Amino acid sequence: MDKLLRNKKAIIFFVAPAFLLFTFVLFIPICQSLYYSLCSYDALTKPEFIGFENYRQLFLNDKTMRIALKNSLFFMVFSCVSQLVMGLLLAALLTNIEKGRNFFKNVYYLPCVLSSAALGLLWMFIFSPKLGINQILAAWGIQGPLWLMDVKGFINLPMKVIAFVALWQYVGQSMMLYMAQISGIDKSLYEASYIDGATKKQAFLHITLPLIRPMVATAMSLNCIGSLKFFDLIFNMTEAGPNHQTEVLATHLYTQGFKYFKYGYASAIGVVLLVLCLVMTFIINKFVKVDSYEM
Amino acid sequence: MKRNNRKKLSVSRIVIYAFLIILAFIYLAPLLWMLLVSVKDNAEIFTSPFALPKRIQWENYTFAWTAGYLGKATLNSAIVCVTALVLSLVFGSMAAFAIARMRWKFSRLMMTYFLIGMMVPIHCVLIPLFKTFSSIGLYNNLSGLILPYVTFSLPITIYIMEGFFENMPQEIFEAACIDGCNIYKCFSTIAVPLSKTGLFVTGLMSFVANWNELLLAMVFISNDLKKTLPVSLSKFVGPYNTNYVQMFAAIIIAIIPTIVVYCCFSNQIVDGLTAGAVKG
Repeated sequence: MDKLLRNKKAIIFFVAPAFLLFTFVLFIPICQSLYYSLCSYDALTKPEFIGFENYRQLFLNDKTMRIALKNSLFFMVFSCVSQLVMGLLLAALLTNIEKGRNFFKNVYYLPCVLSSAALGLLWMFIFSPKLGINQILAAWGIQGPLWLMDVKGFINLPMKVIAFVALWQYVGQSMMLYMAQISGIDKSLYEASYIDGATKKQAFLHITLPLIRPMVATAMSLNCIGSLKFFDLIFNMTEAGPNHQTEVLATHLYTQGFKYFKYGYASAIGVVLLVLCLVMTFIINKFVKVDSYEM
Repeated sequence: MKRNNRKKLSVSRIVIYAFLIILAFIYLAPLLWMLLVSVKDNAEIFTSPFALPKRIQWENYTFAWTAGYLGKATLNSAIVCVTALVLSLVFGSMAAFAIARMRWKFSRLMMTYFLIGMMVPIHCVLIPLFKTFSSIGLYNNLSGLILPYVTFSLPITIYIMEGFFENMPQEIFEAACIDGCNIYKCFSTIAVPLSKTGLFVTGLMSFVANWNELLLAMVFISNDLKKTLPVSLSKFVGPYNTNYVQMFAAIIIAIIPTIVVYCCFSNQIVDGLTAGAVKG
């Protein structure tokens, strides 16, 4: 048996395809990306080493980058908080009702499996200045805002609309994660607390919440990484416009790399994105570890 | 006192249901409205957006189908996603089996190597991959999509399958070994059939993710006949900008298969995807 499990040939046979794919499609490109980000490189020239010039440009002179960073961070914080609150609320409500639980669960989860590209187009229409919501408002005599065209304010209206749509699309996932965790809690804990005179609210605060904290961390890290990578909805709802006001890191990378063909510069944005993802994962992982220690 | 209590309970119940129903309306109304708009003509959207159409305009669908090459796009999406699904399941479970059950020095290190992939955003390999693929003829080629799709599905596949293989009792493999099974047989006739749930869950996750993937597909494919579904939809924003009705017809065509499959198997899909996300 042991000989069988130490069969070198078999090990190589089993691991090789995945390992080779991983190395050639992921690992080497990451290294290339790191190198390109230190180069002046576009469609016509060969990569030429210029040190940290791209990063200097990115952080000191690029106004769009500032907007993109601001929007990405806003988006990340907003989706973490809103998904946590709404997801927990829905999970708590759905575990408390019997009739129609399945129906509501499936309806709220539906957008998660649909293509964000398609849903982005749909919401672009709903929030366009003369159609959709504004037609409903007009029927009541209200002059609606310009929605996706309105660019006033520090966090502008289009970003808020996009954040809302993202919440609409993905809250089902958080809800399901929390529901899975809540249904795993021992029912006798609740019974004991009710005998001791606890109300439903108290039971939720003091039993449910502490017991699902590890899942909160998991869901948060999913949300964080997901919102940093966010691209499809924004691209189809506003194409990062008007005037770059809804740019996030991913769309900025796309524009620089595949509209202006500044490969080196776009790679630098990619590296920033990668670092942000790793830092966030690291922070949240620390948080998870503390949690499971407390359990 | 007792009756009062029951009354209070039912009031809160009504509030909960009202909230849930309003929310469900917010989820379904946009989709239903889209269905309604897709059979109107362009003038009707502006004059009477909520009324039933005067005449059902089926030609929106035929136009969207032909102008957007949607039939071809669906076929491309299916080819890419099915191939990526099969390859990632096969390669992923092979690697997971070697890591979980076989004894070698670098198995933990290998696992870490694969898991790093979960944290890497697809965007930061986009440019190097684009350059490499265009120089070796994988640009405008469906294989150029399949390779990264498989690669980016691997970490989660390996992670979940490793958990399944790890938890299998050692005795099954010992018994099989005594009966003269070699290691490849152990893998294909024992380990894989026993972890069907894991395969279903991971397969579902990667299939849904790849089916909806937009960025890579947009960058690597420019030929209309090679485009996948999400990309060919984005096409409708540009040249057919004012033709909302046709755009909606196209969106409906694109999402109907997903919705039909979802309606038939919603419980399995929701639970499967959740199980995958919990483990991930």
